Amino acid sequence: MGRQAGEIAEILRYKELLRNLVTRDIKVRYKRSVLGFLWVMLNPLLMMLVMSMVFSGLFKVSTPNYTSYLLSGIILWNFFSQSTTTAVVSLVSNSSLIKKIYIPTAIFPLSVVLSAVVNFLFSLVPLLLIIYVTGGALSGRVYLLPVILLLVALFSFGVALMLSTLTVFFHDTIYIYEVLLMVWMYATPIFYPESIIPGKFLFVLHLNPFYYYLTIFRGALYLDVSAVSVKLLYGLCFSLASVAAGWLFYRANKDKIVYHL
Amino acid sequence: MDSVMIEATDVSVRYRLLKEKPRTLQEYLIQRLKGKRHDHEDFWALRDLSMTVRKGETFGIIGRNGAGKSTLLKAIAGVLRPTGGSMRVEGTIAPLIELGAGFDPELTGAENIYLNASILGLSRGQIKGKFQGIVDFSELREFIYSPLKSYSSGMVARLGFSIATEVDPDILIIDEILSVGDKQFVRKCNERMDLFRKKGTTMLLVSHNLDEIADVCNKALWMDHGKAMMCGEPGPVIERYLRSVS
Repeated sequence: MGRQAGEIAEILRYKELLRNLVTRDIKVRYKRSVLGFLWVMLNPLLMMLVMSMVFSGLFKVSTPNYTSYLLSGIILWNFFSQSTTTAVVSLVSNSSLIKKIYIPTAIFPLSVVLSAVVNFLFSLVPLLLIIYVTGGALSGRVYLLPVILLLVALFSFGVALMLSTLTVFFHDTIYIYEVLLMVWMYATPIFYPESIIPGKFLFVLHLNPFYYYLTIFRGALYLDVSAVSVKLLYGLCFSLASVAAGWLFYRANKDKIVYHL
Repeated sequence: MDSVMIEATDVSVRYRLLKEKPRTLQEYLIQRLKGKRHDHEDFWALRDLSMTVRKGETFGIIGRNGAGKSTLLKAIAGVLRPTGGSMRVEGTIAPLIELGAGFDPELTGAENIYLNASILGLSRGQIKGKFQGIVDFSELREFIYSPLKSYSSGMVARLGFSIATEVDPDILIIDEILSVGDKQFVRKCNERMDLFRKKGTTMLLVSHNLDEIADVCNKALWMDHGKAMMCGEPGPVIERYLRSVS
């Protein structure tokens, strides 16, 4: 337990580095583009536009306020998929630093997740706009927004820690994860309503943490959702399990990382 | 002048060199299915190495390529946890290894100062306090708000040296870098090293330039195959090393 606390204290001691890594990521990502940081908001909007053209005929009837449904799904999923796919290579791509200077290594996947949090916050702006424009009323549960953000961030950090460590030993992780992520996306009610899932596959839905996260997220924004507290509890369990698993896996392999980079 | 800054006791570092190392998950699974044991060879980069560096010493490390010098520096910097033995280090360390490892070409010089200094563990307040000194020493004032990708390699090296030394560490690790920059800047670097020596900063220097070791160090360690062969006054250590090479 003492060593766990030591590691966390080390990360806190390097909080200025964490800050700089996050701001660097935000500054550099869109630096060469004309529209720059606006892309954080434009990207989900355009994706929503395309997907709603493709799918609205199919799902519009059964889904109230389909544009908001779609955009909220895209934004929350992007937060997770972006942070984890970037984090997969976060240790490998910083190997020149990790091999030469002592840094608490977990700071790299952590910084990736934190910059995804910033992007997520900015992409909330077009989402709230769309909800307003399409005539939806903001839900009375807006106070759940920071809660769901924290839950998904924790979940993503656990996955990020696990994958970034695994990639050091097996590069294939990068490519396997890409495929898994695609399967995961299609298994999640992002652009289709959960009502179209046949009964015998409902158990898949109930094992999917993003079912809970998405429902709470939509409930916090505009949708009337039942049994929110139960879903919150499930969500919390998934988040804690992910962080615990990621952290233990990272700790168990931490000293070996530098030999394999 | 005699408090111990670095104390290595019987430090060993083992690299596992797998024969037919599985590089991918697929190969790993295939090897597992075939029931192949992972044959590995142990390679000891450091073997029962003991050394003591005291405060204010300029400590030179010499030896042929592959003798374990860089591994020793990594163990001292805390990058590697030794397989055996113990490594005790007092105070802050700034490594000056491969200048610019922590730079981002898209960021400006000023932003890179903040990034790089925080890699060395400094807080925001500390960096703010040292910022002007870093800029002044690097002589890059007109370029400091331009992106680093527009710098020449000499300019990047100057910025790196300025940051690592302005950080004012207790222990400065220098791995073969003093050949960077033009003559004038090399002189400035040497002057700054003199200043560090006078101030009592401990310095570790790895170099193949034996004249430099003889010049600036007051203690030297000769390593071969991961072992400490001889430690003491630079003159005799270098002499023994040269005799073993020829």
